[in-house]
Amino acid sequence: MNAEPLVNPVVLFFASIFTSNILLSNFLGMCSFISISKDKTSAYGLGLAVTVVMTICAAVSWLVLRYLILPLDIEYLSFIIFIIVIAAVVQMLEMIIDRVSPALYMSLGIFLPLITVNCAILGAILFMQIRSYGFLQAVAFGAGSGMGWWLAIMLLASIRKRIENNPVPAGLKGAGITMVTIGFMAMAFIGFSGMIAVQ
Amino acid sequence: MSGKAGKILWDNLWTNNPIFIQILGICSTLAVTNSVRNTLIMTVGVSLSTAFSSWTLSAMQATIPRKVRMIVQVLVISFYVIIIDIILRAYLPEVSKQLGPYVGLIITNCIIMGRAEAFAAANKPVLSFWDGLTSGLGYMAVLVAIAVVREILGFGTLLGFRVMPAGFEPWTIMIMAPSAFFLVAFVMWWAKTVQARAAAKAAAAKSAPRPVPAKA
Amino acid sequence: MKKDSIVYVVVFTFVVCAAFVFFLALANEATKDRVAANRLFAERAAVLDAFGIEYSAPPEALEKYERFVKDQPVPEGAGAEKAYRYEADGKTFFAARVTGAGLWGSISIILGADAGVERLTGLQIVAQNETPGLGGRIDEAWFRGQFRGERIGPEGIRVATGAESRGTGDPDPDNGLLDGVSGASRTSQSMEAIVNGGIRALRAIAGGAR
Repeated sequence: MNAEPLVNPVVLFFASIFTSNILLSNFLGMCSFISISKDKTSAYGLGLAVTVVMTICAAVSWLVLRYLILPLDIEYLSFIIFIIVIAAVVQMLEMIIDRVSPALYMSLGIFLPLITVNCAILGAILFMQIRSYGFLQAVAFGAGSGMGWWLAIMLLASIRKRIENNPVPAGLKGAGITMVTIGFMAMAFIGFSGMIAVQ
Repeated sequence: MSGKAGKILWDNLWTNNPIFIQILGICSTLAVTNSVRNTLIMTVGVSLSTAFSSWTLSAMQATIPRKVRMIVQVLVISFYVIIIDIILRAYLPEVSKQLGPYVGLIITNCIIMGRAEAFAAANKPVLSFWDGLTSGLGYMAVLVAIAVVREILGFGTLLGFRVMPAGFEPWTIMIMAPSAFFLVAFVMWWAKTVQARAAAKAAAAKSAPRPVPAKA
Repeated sequence: MKKDSIVYVVVFTFVVCAAFVFFLALANEATKDRVAANRLFAERAAVLDAFGIEYSAPPEALEKYERFVKDQPVPEGAGAEKAYRYEADGKTFFAARVTGAGLWGSISIILGADAGVERLTGLQIVAQNETPGLGGRIDEAWFRGQFRGERIGPEGIRVATGAESRGTGDPDPDNGLLDGVSGASRTSQSMEAIVNGGIRALRAIAGGAR
């Protein structure tokens, strides 16, 4: 295991939102991204759910990694353990929200089951593990990646609304034109890369 | 049986291709499509884990309680992905180092779970294995095609060997993320147009049994 | 027993988990030595590469390492994790393992130079987590290879980025300038900083050895 990297958590947070958006540069979480981005309300709910789950999961799995996986030397099981962590966090969150705020449950709860299989969450955790982040870095990276994903899906939902009624070649309708849109968004986000120097 | 197997192959490669029709599972592999070698290894990994997970889940089908079905599916998939990871680490350490976390991401690849739900749950193990494998092949075909374009235009190489003339100016955009989205869109456009044309032809042939009139 | 009874669900889940974990443990145990051997070989081969020592097969590399390479004490504050010494034909070479921040996480390198720290003998990447196919290309032969025999300027070396870099490797070993990876200027800049840190460490190590 390597030492903690020398990356400032604040910088990491902004970098994971803008310069290296988990969706637009690492392509993680594409499936729900394309199917849910048809309308803004659902996109908002799902984005919020992803952000919350990703932040909590990053923190919990960092603790699990440090105090369970590494001491027991069972790194080869880490994929399974992380999946269980995600499933457990999602389940708990669902129960808590249901008790505390039925209104929030209506807007957020329905998206929670979709999240267990969202690759962006597992992706963020695996990145955190392989880059051996410290606790603050892990949380900052988790929160930043979640918000980056949220931002991307909101942008895409808004753009899709605009192009909905435009004449698009028949073969490119639906998923095709969405991919083109995401491509342009990814290009726009590359423009952020001069903004933050991760040093 | 062989007729059915052939239909599954055709379905998964073309009429119901995981990428351009079902739009599933692009996530884990698209990121490495700027190198043909990494793409090949990743897609082989996806194909094998889909095939074996479908086979195992189909064989276990009768014994799995409904309440824990999802968890068991994830467990089986993780099992095969971890096996692949262990094999890579032991026998291809260089590749394992380069792919980093992307191997683990095969677990969340929606194709595997999709095939387990849609096919393996209702079919025999051997047929499910075949379905998983061919889904993986359909996935591989598209992604390798994209990787070939990206590597040739982005680096001027193919599988690491220089194929473009020395004066060739590499297209940096091809190395970066946006090009992958554009290329996927092109593949979708092409495939859907061809399929729509074939469907129109078939419909015309059905509704109009009289001899086809000469072209205007 | 009914398929949905609590007892069945619990027992089933337990048995399935136990079986899969057992097989994984078995597979892990079976490949453990191989993975450990791979790791040892990778580390030693990296040191040999940094010194520019040629080898053809793993056993030969391990044998050469045993014969030629010695550990070298790292002076206080040199900034290196580990240092190595290599002597051949009356000449001494030093290599140091240093780590710095890349775009995403730490990058660890082993950098070798002659005793006067005037020319590099080679560079090898030990660990990096940059994006595969982009920043991750610092681990490709053309990038690493251009460091071999490069003259070190008074300020160290410089890695070109943007339009200045051809992205294919700088052929001139005397200008202290190397090509960065196209599309990954941030990682290229990090590499410049890390290699220059390594050069400073090597100067301290070589100075301490004299």
